[in-house]
Amino acid sequence: MISIKLDNVSLAYRLYEKLTLTAPDRRLGGLGGKIGRSGGKQVVQALEDVSFELKAGDRLGLVGPNGAGKTTLLKVLYGIYQPSAGTVAIEGKVDALFNINIGFRPEATGRRNIVLRGLISGWTEAEIQEKMPEIIAFSELGDFIDVPFKTYSQGMAARLAFSAATALDPEILLMDEWIGAGDAQFQEKAKRRMDELAEKAGIIVLATHNESLLESVCTKRMTLKNGRVEAFTTKPAERAGTRAKS
Amino acid sequence: MIAALNGAFDDISKAMRLHRVWIALAHEDIGDQHRRTTLGPLWMLVNYLAFIGTFIFVFKTKDTDSAGYTAYASIGLVVWFYLMEMISLSVPLFSREASFIQGTRLPLFVYVMRLTVQCIIRASYSVAGCIVILLLSGLGISAEWLLSIPGLLLIVLATPAIVMVFAFLGAFFPDAQFIVGNIMRVGTFLTPVFWAYHGQGGIQNYAYHWNPFTYFLEVVRAPIASGEFPTHPFVVTAYISLAFWAVALLLLGGYRKRVVFLI
Repeated sequence: MISIKLDNVSLAYRLYEKLTLTAPDRRLGGLGGKIGRSGGKQVVQALEDVSFELKAGDRLGLVGPNGAGKTTLLKVLYGIYQPSAGTVAIEGKVDALFNINIGFRPEATGRRNIVLRGLISGWTEAEIQEKMPEIIAFSELGDFIDVPFKTYSQGMAARLAFSAATALDPEILLMDEWIGAGDAQFQEKAKRRMDELAEKAGIIVLATHNESLLESVCTKRMTLKNGRVEAFTTKPAERAGTRAKS
Repeated sequence: MIAALNGAFDDISKAMRLHRVWIALAHEDIGDQHRRTTLGPLWMLVNYLAFIGTFIFVFKTKDTDSAGYTAYASIGLVVWFYLMEMISLSVPLFSREASFIQGTRLPLFVYVMRLTVQCIIRASYSVAGCIVILLLSGLGISAEWLLSIPGLLLIVLATPAIVMVFAFLGAFFPDAQFIVGNIMRVGTFLTPVFWAYHGQGGIQNYAYHWNPFTYFLEVVRAPIASGEFPTHPFVVTAYISLAFWAVALLLLGGYRKRVVFLI
């Protein structure tokens, strides 16, 4: 059964300051987690007591100001960051889309990048070749697929990254806000694919500032501020259902 | 400590299952480094030949055995180039891989193996150059040359551990990049790469006996230069390699989850 369960997850990490001769600027802004001191060391409290539970078919939208902990939370869910307290229990095959450039080599062609990305995700060469035509078709990159990745626009890169990440049917898909980089037509296509994924009883966690994307894709909404959960709301089922199908 | 070792072995076994990833990435690295150049990776062979040519031209004296010195210096330089490149590239390894480490769940050992494969591919060009030089030097091929193979294998087996230790050093202590860079530059002269030790005293005595690099060079060089299996250097190199593996496993097990916050 595909599920995500977080219990009082906190993440604190030490900040390593660069050696500098200039006076540090200690004016605190309203963004980001809390920077505290412990034994003379700077510690960032990026997440604090985050608990929630998601079941198959849930689509969670993470909202909050810059630095609220959205990406950090996604990275905890993906297993890149180990929480300093609390437990994370995840059932299901997870794939994630963070920064577009992560995991892509600028000098390699789009096609080669799909192969590398597939290998990194643990696919076999045969699986990659089998999925290749579909990924290329979905990305609509055409002949550009054999051109180095560095020549792609942000939108083209987003198309390739999204197509590759969703091609092997992840059960849980984590996405950072960059999805807005694609054009309207591609965003529409991406939304449809996310709907399909959720209908197949998958889970989507999407961090975004884009209200309309949030409205049309997500069934649940979690607001983070300074690393803490400020609100967790569930959309009425029938409304979410009609949205998903529209 | 048991938990740390378990973590390390878990990371390594996951990475070994992903061998296609590090082999593919290492090939990409080599390709990228020589992109748009006419000679491509053959530049590594040219670099080596230019260096060794200069050494032989400058340091060969009338009274030294010409073929013997050519073999001595050319083998020494192959191993030294390999060690120098491997160690210098290891220190900034994790910060160089920051985008992958912060964006994927690849085990850290994947990056270690990626660099290992890259260094081996690069070294194979100098090895090819070295073999050509040995054949041209007039030394005469002999079966004893095969005794170099255990030494070469030992160095290759030690490589992932050395890479890992220096990569962690670089992650925790960024100044290490410059310190190690300087040590390796000085090491070219303090290691018997192109000078031979004939029982001299003074600095050369210390630079020969107390320098771990000496033993790494000798395990490969001695069988070809003197026709004997270098038992003592082999044992010392094996001990150094084991020590590196022990430290590397403890570092990997204990700190692999911390690296992402350091880079």
